[in-house]
Amino acid sequence: MKSSIQSIFQRYWNPYLVLLMAGILSALYFGLTSTVWAVTGEFTRLGGDILLWFGVDISDWQYFDMVHLQGATWNRPDGWIVWGMFVGALIMVLLSNSFKIRLPQQKRRYVQGLIGGIIAGFGARLALGCNLAAFFTGVPQFSFHSWIFIVATGIGTFFGAKLTKTRWWKGKPSLTRGNAKPTQLKNRMIQPYVGGVIAALYIGLIIYFFASGQKLLGLGALFGLAFGILIERGQICFTSAFRDLFLVGRSVMAKAIILGMSVSSILMIIVISIYDVTPITQIAALSTFVGGALFGLGIVMASGCETGMMYRLMEGQLLFLPVFLGNIIGATFLAYAWDHLGVYNVLVKNGAKINLLETLGPIGAISITLLMLGGLYALTVYGEKRYHQKLAIKRGMKVHAS
Amino acid sequence: MQAKLEADFTLDLRGESCPYPVIYTLETLEGLNKGELLQVITDCPGSFRNVPEEAIAHGYKFAQDPVKNGQEYIFHIYA
Repeated sequence: MKSSIQSIFQRYWNPYLVLLMAGILSALYFGLTSTVWAVTGEFTRLGGDILLWFGVDISDWQYFDMVHLQGATWNRPDGWIVWGMFVGALIMVLLSNSFKIRLPQQKRRYVQGLIGGIIAGFGARLALGCNLAAFFTGVPQFSFHSWIFIVATGIGTFFGAKLTKTRWWKGKPSLTRGNAKPTQLKNRMIQPYVGGVIAALYIGLIIYFFASGQKLLGLGALFGLAFGILIERGQICFTSAFRDLFLVGRSVMAKAIILGMSVSSILMIIVISIYDVTPITQIAALSTFVGGALFGLGIVMASGCETGMMYRLMEGQLLFLPVFLGNIIGATFLAYAWDHLGVYNVLVKNGAKINLLETLGPIGAISITLLMLGGLYALTVYGEKRYHQKLAIKRGMKVHAS
Repeated sequence: MQAKLEADFTLDLRGESCPYPVIYTLETLEGLNKGELLQVITDCPGSFRNVPEEAIAHGYKFAQDPVKNGQEYIFHIYA
């Protein structure tokens, strides 16, 4: 018993398994509620809430109308997805005794985090979704905008990775001669108890939602919790999926995400045909491409996307406070720029909602989606191989015949 | 706990978030002379996995198993 508890709370879970579960759960969540697992839409609404709180008149901002800014975040299922994710991640961090205030040695990270967060928040909302609604849960909705978004994010990430490698951006680490002392440990362990109390309270809240007939809030809170647990335990990082391929030839996360999306897509076809629900389609336009590229650049600058920053913040990585703030600022600024600065007219108006399910039918849509994901998988494997080949050549040139 | 190893250099990455621990570790190993021992102290949970996996993928060898020290990990890697 003890060993099974240890393996659940002491070790991180296999990212393949975690994204497989996330793919299944997001298909189920869609079947139950007709909404997808997403977070940045709610970030925009939070920005709207804050503006209203300061007395700003946002009644003529079209974007807030489009994302249905109504009520408080506590009365929105999407709001509970966000708060549930924070709580789920926090519970896992505490149960595994891994909370620690972590402050970056490089002070420049805070500025990078804020700026990257703003760019990522702006880009995500311009494209109408982040790595969830325009990626992980967008592809299984057969919304073509997510295809454009993936390509654009890859390009943005590439430039972000280039930036990350420059000397002035990354800074010099602290390298000292000899051994250094590790942190002295405290014997008292209180985190798991705090985690247990929070878990009990939160489960009570979910039961209250269902008992009082607020089924959608209950489902949001429940699935948010599950998604939070999964991303923390799997250390799921969409930012690293592309970035680490460019930086160090690492491909685990990219492969796991592709696998999760494939399973989710297949399930979604079944869910859509059984429940007869309409998939959620977003506009595919120039804005999708520009937004995706900005998003890709921003998440690498900030070291985390809108999803990854949630569990990192709960782990005590304070760098992600300015990132969270930046995400909300960027999303809110986009909401302003949408009609006030002509973003809609220039980048969005000429777009169209394209859904592969409608244009190609179920068999065609799932075939082409799986084909695209297969291609993405092959590209990932190729990228990894190429990185290691180059490395071997670079090393070989350093070995001289003497 | 294994026998204490005398590291030639220590890379203290506490507080740094991903991807910097893995970038710093690989770059430092690249700069050291072959056979020198590097101690890496890191507390970014993502780095508990990507630092050892990438050090090995880049051809470096571990001097001993990773040591978990509360909320941080300590790695001993030969350049």
